[in-house]
Order: sequence, then structure tokens, then C-alpha cells
Amino acid sequence: MNNQDDIMRDAARLSQRIQPERDLWPDIEQSLEPQRRRNWTPMLAQAASVVLLVAASSAVTYFAVRDDTPASIAVQPEYVFDQAAFGANHNLGPGFTDARSGLASKLDTQLEKLSPEQRADVEENLMMIRNAIDQINAELAEDPDNAYLQTLLLKTYREELAVMRKVSDLTQNVMSRNDI
Amino acid sequence: MAALSALANTHYSDVVMPATEHKQVDEATLVKRSKKNDQRAFEALYRANVGKVYALCLRMTGSVAEAEDCVQEAFIQAWNQLSKFRGDSAFATWMHRIAVNAVLGRMRKSKREQNRLEVVADRTEVPPLTGDEGALRDLSQAIDRLPDGARHVFVLHAVYGYSHDEAANMLGIATGTSKAQVHRARRLLAQQLKQEGFTE
Repeated sequence: MNNQDDIMRDAARLSQRIQPERDLWPDIEQSLEPQRRRNWTPMLAQAASVVLLVAASSAVTYFAVRDDTPASIAVQPEYVFDQAAFGANHNLGPGFTDARSGLASKLDTQLEKLSPEQRADVEENLMMIRNAIDQINAELAEDPDNAYLQTLLLKTYREELAVMRKVSDLTQNVMSRNDI
Repeated sequence: MAALSALANTHYSDVVMPATEHKQVDEATLVKRSKKNDQRAFEALYRANVGKVYALCLRMTGSVAEAEDCVQEAFIQAWNQLSKFRGDSAFATWMHRIAVNAVLGRMRKSKREQNRLEVVADRTEVPPLTGDEGALRDLSQAIDRLPDGARHVFVLHAVYGYSHDEAANMLGIATGTSKAQVHRARRLLAQQLKQEGFTE
């Protein structure tokens, strides 16, 4: 056995547990702040509330708008985007992203076809949803593995998409009616 | 009445976490309680793991003062990041990773590379107490004198048994670099020990 092998053998025998010469806990204890989770729980609750509020609000908007339109406007089934998924950095899947950008690009034109009240409702809903998305993304940047935040973000994106799809469906029906 | 009086004088933490109970409470329970802001539970985790964390910091820095700072930093970081600990590995393993980051972060922050000569001089005068005896103590002191890169990899790989992949991952270097640094460390240690007459 050569000398370097002896060194490796001896290194594995060195103490792996050494007690510090003084108690370090008092200094550590002084620096401990309440768990971050406790600090941002109200924010999470707020974000969750926003999602619920948005869901309720967009539903109210949808039904209100639907009541004003002829019965020929069929209620669209809830849009479920199976391709929606988070990538390595919580990016949305390509199917979801395409649908979102496609709807967003047409949104302004479609909004012009709604009444001012309807347009204001939709814009307010979208603003709330996008604020929630920003907040959740900011939290995810701090805590990227948080499954609850990931779920909340996905749900919020779906809400945004659902509102935009409903606007799109409504205005398409309006166009058909006008054309007739 | 006496029983009531005794109960009234009993501190909440004594009921929840009596000192004698620390060893009997399993790690998962302590982590769970710590996540709920129970500092007594976190103290129990500290007591159970400080020896391992301090040893790693001491061997990586070669300095008692720096090792103490790194231990404090590591446990504060651990407290702040507890929500990320899912129990996939042992708490001690998780702490090791945090401690390595604390050491690296501290060295970057203080530009320790530039001050290294001074630190070595301090260290040489008062070798840290490691509990190692005889030839192992000589080896321990020789490790302290290794260049930072070689010392970090050698400690993780040769002393703590991490694979090259694991050590490289913890240190943010390539696996090949880890192997090269261990080879370098072995050569430097052999030279040092031979010069000082500790080996044939």
C-alpha cells in the first residue's frame, strides 16, 4: 500500500462529529424569525381568495351576459387544457401558451363588441386574475417547489383562459346574429 | 391544590418538549414541530446535529471562528428554509448541504482567498480541536493547510464519503474537477506529512 492510500484510509477514520467549544445555540436562537410560511400565509390566503372571487365574479359576468343574449348562445363546456403543465421553471406547456396568446391577441377586438358594462366587468376580472398571477409568480420565485402555489397558479391561469374563451364565444355568437 | 400549583408553574415547552424527551422524539416529529414555529423542537434538532455540522465546517474552513460562524449561518438558513425540507433525506444530510453552502458563501463574501495567508498563520498557531489522536491529528492539521479547492473536495469525498458526483454537485464544480482535486490533495498531503516526518 502506498502512502497516498494510507492517507485516504486514515481520512475516513477522522472524527465526523466534533462538538463546538462553546454553545452556539443562544446566538442562533436570537436570529430566528417566525417561519416565513407564517408570514406569507395571509398573502396566500389573499391570493386564494382572489381566485375564488375571480371564479365567482367571472361566473356572474358570464351568466349576466348570457341572460342578455338570445338563447341561441349555447353554454360552452368548461375548458380543460390537458396540455397545461409546468416545465422546469414553472413555464406553461406549449398548448396552453398557444391558446392563451391566441385569445389574448384577439381580446381587444372582441371587447369592443361588448357593451361598456360588460367590457368593464371582463376587464376588471382579467385585471384581478393577472394581479393574482403576478403575486403567485413572485411567491413561486421564492419557493419554487411549493406544490400549493403551483396548483394555485395553474388554476389562476385556467381562470384567465376561461374568461377569455367566454368573451371569444360570446362575440362570435354576436357576429353570427348580426350577420343574419 | 399542590398538583394544580405545580401545573400552573409548568412551562408550556416543558409539557410539549421536556429536555429528557429530546432523544426519544423522532426526527420527523421535531421537523414537523419546527415547521410550526416550535423553536424548542428546532433546538433539539440543533443539539442532535451540531456536532456533525460543526465538524464539517471546521474541516472545510480549518478555523474555529469561521466554523462557528458557518454553523450559525447554516442553522439560521435551515430554519428559514424548513418548509423546503420534505424528509426525502436525513435531516443531517440536508444540513450538510446547507453547511457547505454556508462555507462557500462565507468564503466568497469575505474574499477569504485574499486573506488566506493571514488565516493560515492564525490557524497554525492554534490548531482546532478535532478529537483526533496521534497520526490522525497530524493528518487533520495537514488537511487544514491544503488549498481551499483541494481541501473542500477532499473533506467531502475522503472524510465524509460523498461520491465525486455528490461532492461536485454540492460544491458546484465538475465531477472531473472533483477527481483532480482529490488527486492533488492526496499528493500535497503525502508531501506535507513526509516533510514533517510523520510518515516514512
